[in-house]
Amino acid sequence: MSPGSPVHPIPARAGIGLRLPHHALVLAERPAAAWLEVHPENYMSDAHSLAELERMRAHYPLSLHAVGLSLGSAAGVDAAHIARLRRLVERLEPALVSDHLSWSIAGGTYLPDLLPLPYTEEALQAVCRNVTQVQDALGCQILVENPSTYLKFAASAIPEAEFLAAVAQRSGCGVLLDVNNIYVSASNQRLDAADVLREWCHALDARAVGELHLAGHAVVATSSGESLRIDDHGDHVCEAVWALYAQALAHFGAKPTLLEWDTRLPAFSVLQSEAALAQARLDSAQQQSYARAV
Amino acid sequence: MAAALLAPDAAGQAMGEELFSGAHAGAVGLRVHRNTVLGALANALRLAFPAVDRLVGEDYFDRMAVEYARARPPLAPQLDEYGRDFPEFIAAFPGTGSLPYLLELAQFEWLFADLARCRAEPGFGGPAVSLDAGVRLQFITPLRLHAARYPVAALRDAIMADDAAALGAIDLQPRDQHLALWRTERGVAVRTLSDASARFLAAVYAGRDAAGALAAASEGAEQPGAAPGEVFLAQLLAQEILPAGFVHVTAAHGG
Repeated sequence: MSPGSPVHPIPARAGIGLRLPHHALVLAERPAAAWLEVHPENYMSDAHSLAELERMRAHYPLSLHAVGLSLGSAAGVDAAHIARLRRLVERLEPALVSDHLSWSIAGGTYLPDLLPLPYTEEALQAVCRNVTQVQDALGCQILVENPSTYLKFAASAIPEAEFLAAVAQRSGCGVLLDVNNIYVSASNQRLDAADVLREWCHALDARAVGELHLAGHAVVATSSGESLRIDDHGDHVCEAVWALYAQALAHFGAKPTLLEWDTRLPAFSVLQSEAALAQARLDSAQQQSYARAV
Repeated sequence: MAAALLAPDAAGQAMGEELFSGAHAGAVGLRVHRNTVLGALANALRLAFPAVDRLVGEDYFDRMAVEYARARPPLAPQLDEYGRDFPEFIAAFPGTGSLPYLLELAQFEWLFADLARCRAEPGFGGPAVSLDAGVRLQFITPLRLHAARYPVAALRDAIMADDAAALGAIDLQPRDQHLALWRTERGVAVRTLSDASARFLAAVYAGRDAAGALAAASEGAEQPGAAPGEVFLAQLLAQEILPAGFVHVTAAHGG
């Protein structure tokens, strides 16, 4: 990425996650969207889709949200994948680049999921090494996202919020705070989501938060009859997550907010409607912040 | 954990519960991650082999895909490159023996998907050959030649159109088939070729000139009455090559 301001910086407005089935419509109609976010792994081997994305890039600010860097890998990150990402960054000049506090590569095998790691000092050092290596290779800061969790390791000695805050402090990366993931993880651990968000607010420097994510999730029953929330990005944002989002905005201020929807993909107009709901809350938060200031 | 997520049996899938401390048992969380991993890999294969998916049905395809994913998990995060040897895997899968064309259909689908990811080059941009009388043939790129024994293009078309009547009417007797596939702005185009045309194109894309490509096309071609080479070339061009859409004719000097 070119040093200094990107050509199209990401505004503190609601953006939309762009998926391949919507390419044709976005190219043909150029629908309203404050900014777009894509998974760069979908464009690393697909020259046709990449050419389409380049055309869209001329009209929309762009964020690259990776899923394959495996920042939590104890064995380190894959230099070849970083190189592929770097080529995309140089070509697309995104305003934001991000990935997750998770791992997906082990023993040369790639597992398409964001897998959990124990929050230990050893893991913290590994993640900081990996993040630093990626940032050095890309020549820019990246944001690291809190994952949705279904497992908690007995060896974890550091609370998740403090862990990610430490990664940001030590490596200079930013934080992508996924509000839906906080809700899903808290629910699955039988914790009050508002309390968990307060922990995040306490742990994180607001200046380190570069982006917020919103998404829908599914509720399923386990074999023992308990409910489990699955971060499948396949539905509207639920009221509880909207409330959590308002709480996050009140603390962190207006931040670029992305609407994610990856499965059971609806019409683009539905994503625009969801983004409008987020924008209304952003506008309200900005008005309240202005009122407090005067 | 990676091994536990890919293991096919309960014993291999288990991890000691003392490793976990959450509100749910570790096995519950592992099952979520296992479903996500295997589901994502099955979906990636489904996107690459949509006709195979429709032909064998969703449940059967998932069984094949999950077994493939466990045996040959991906090595890199670009899942659109995952499944190169899926055709050979499913051809040997229990129960597919009644579909002798399955291997070739899947191989054709892989080639189709690979081309779909290519960018259609503007202005053709492939090899060019000059003919006598100042005519120049400019061929398109990317273009792939594919040989099969079963009518895989017709099979794919009928399956993707959900046209049972068309599917039932396809002659499945194995015989040599030659196909040209190429990328256009609108997608992947496919055309059936004669053996002679396939040889001609292979020679052109290998860098041979018109005479060399004609010689290649003539090898083994039946020429009742031994038509002169120029006539044979003219027939080839007029009947197959030029109407196909993957070649542009220009004057050799200018325009």
